[in-house]
Amino acid sequence: MKKINYFSLAALLILSLCSFSYAQFPEEEPSRISIKPGIGFEYFSRTISWDDDEYSSNLKSYFFILNAEFEIQEGFSLNALAGYSFSNFDSLIFRELPFSVELDVGDMSGFLFGGEIKKSIFSIYDFEVEGLGQFVYYLGSKKEWDIPDLNVEGSVTGKPWWMRASAGPVITYTGFDYFYPYIYLSYNKLWGKFKMEQTIQELSGSEDKKITGKSVFSTSLGAIYEVFDALTLKAEANFMPYNKGLDFGVMLRAMYSF
Amino acid sequence: MKTKKIFFLFFIIYIFIFSASFQHHRFDRYKKPLYRFFRPRIQSINKGLPFQLKEKQYVPDQILIKFKPTLSELLIETTIAAYQTKKIKRIPKLNIYQLQIPKNITVEEMAYVMSQNPDVEYAEPNYIVYITETPNDLYFKYQYALYNSGQSIGIPGSPHGSERADIKATAAWEETKGKEEVIIAVIDTGVDLLHPDLENKIVSSGRDFVNDDFDATDDNGHGTHVAGIAAAETNNNEGIAGVAWNCKILPIKAVDEEGYGDYYSLIEGITYAADNGADVINLSLGGDMPAQSLEDALKYAYEKDIVIVAAVGNEGGAVLFPAAYDDYCLAVAATDYDDIRVDWSNFGPEVDVAAPGERIISLVPTWYWGQGSLPYGYGFGTSMAAPHVSGFAALIKSVKPWLTAAEIMNIIRYSADDTNKEDYPGNDEFIGYGRINMEKALVPIKITTHK
Repeated sequence: MKKINYFSLAALLILSLCSFSYAQFPEEEPSRISIKPGIGFEYFSRTISWDDDEYSSNLKSYFFILNAEFEIQEGFSLNALAGYSFSNFDSLIFRELPFSVELDVGDMSGFLFGGEIKKSIFSIYDFEVEGLGQFVYYLGSKKEWDIPDLNVEGSVTGKPWWMRASAGPVITYTGFDYFYPYIYLSYNKLWGKFKMEQTIQELSGSEDKKITGKSVFSTSLGAIYEVFDALTLKAEANFMPYNKGLDFGVMLRAMYSF
Repeated sequence: MKTKKIFFLFFIIYIFIFSASFQHHRFDRYKKPLYRFFRPRIQSINKGLPFQLKEKQYVPDQILIKFKPTLSELLIETTIAAYQTKKIKRIPKLNIYQLQIPKNITVEEMAYVMSQNPDVEYAEPNYIVYITETPNDLYFKYQYALYNSGQSIGIPGSPHGSERADIKATAAWEETKGKEEVIIAVIDTGVDLLHPDLENKIVSSGRDFVNDDFDATDDNGHGTHVAGIAAAETNNNEGIAGVAWNCKILPIKAVDEEGYGDYYSLIEGITYAADNGADVINLSLGGDMPAQSLEDALKYAYEKDIVIVAAVGNEGGAVLFPAAYDDYCLAVAATDYDDIRVDWSNFGPEVDVAAPGERIISLVPTWYWGQGSLPYGYGFGTSMAAPHVSGFAALIKSVKPWLTAAEIMNIIRYSADDTNKEDYPGNDEFIGYGRINMEKALVPIKITTHK
């Protein structure tokens, strides 16, 4: 099966949208680029499936991010994200190693990179409709754990990554001053891999566990609050239903405008 | 053509002179003590086991010989004739010949003489193997080996076991009960093909190397008992539970109704198992003597990634062969219902693991006790310990078919409970790495500790 480099794909998508955006408004006078640096926190709990959808468990992740939003034109912005994440893959079971193991190690730290692209599409009455695309890439640090209870020493080494990409319309109510509630409906895909290696004396093995988020559609309810001209707060809760349950997440961001 | 004939003539003369020179050597040796080439058999300390010791070590008028692979069949035939021996059978895969020797020479002498021939890789007696247990009681009540709740071990008045002194089978069965494709070859006295707890578990009527036919029906009882422990039909409202619920049995008879066989039949059995789809070979038998031919057969099977499990023997002495072939066999000692090694279990550095072998309930042939009795009985011995490990290996193979024999053997070793660690911490010569623990090997281990 042909492999897809999702990271490159996401980058390409953003660049394409940028180009598209400029191509649509060539006659407009270029406006000054405004930059909004910010900080944020996000948490989500997603049901993930693995081993060809045979098993499932939860991926819980929270991350702290620094972001810089570049408003290139009125109604069009790019947002770069970088941060540090703690992701919990507990209950993931590796059955292809010589000794099967189940993760119960808590949070695994790692770096996080991402980006957002937002484009205003149209406004009607007190509503504004925008298109929003996001992606986040988590690269976990390599960690080693002892295998307990065997009569010889042994260890496993794990290294995870996951990626989340979403895209969809954001409908914002602009009828209030300083406070803008919105709803974001998106196609929201999460996938990744956990590579686990095992060494016990002469025994060794390796397993690449592919994980996929069960839910693929998300509904986010949020609000933007302008504390003062330069400072904006954003809060969001999202819900991701799947056939046997509901995943959820929350996000908080503070952004400062120059 | 003429050159070939001259060459052949010279060859015959050469063989003749060569043989004659060894005749001299042989008679010289005969004047001296001859038997230094064979260590005397260590008599067993039989702990009241019904199956007592063997009177003979090898088949009296046979040897096993392997010629160098470069030798043509014609030259082999010529050599066999030159030594006045007669071919009985041959195992083509290993190129091992079973030869009938002349009556005027002993087995030791002939083996020695032929082994000096530069065209011969080795020549050795056709040693005897023997089973190490006979079921001696009837009743099915408890299988403490699989799950020990501290219950009474069977008939009234029998001892109680210690809680969880078992191989943790019930927990492991939550992970797997085995797959039908995985085959355990039981090389033994045969198997009762009609036993209600086995008839659906047998891949074929097997192979009988004692009577040279394709009906490995058990005429002793030992093989049926062994097969039942490994893979009796389970969850069928009768009888007992096998370790590997769903795995199949390939019955191979290499031991006669008295419980004796020879190395040649055993070697035939091992190669037959290797060539007929076995994933695990159970050898609840053994002999006192090493033999290159036996080692070759084990190597042949091992290189096909077949896990070979062998009983260490019940004499409280040295580990028997083939269990002592450490490179190819998982040598199994016996423990009891308290997780204590039984004192009749053989010991030595070759011991890999232990499993329950004291008062083990399993199947006996339907004819064994006579009409009106249930075809179940208790058995004692490392013969009973070994099939627990064979069933265990079959379960591992069921869930992880990509593992090699060496890897499966190591999983079994490393997951064992070191039940005698207070006296002998680590891998020791009594129970090896310890009493097997199926749960640790099959149920995913929770990883919690940071390195």
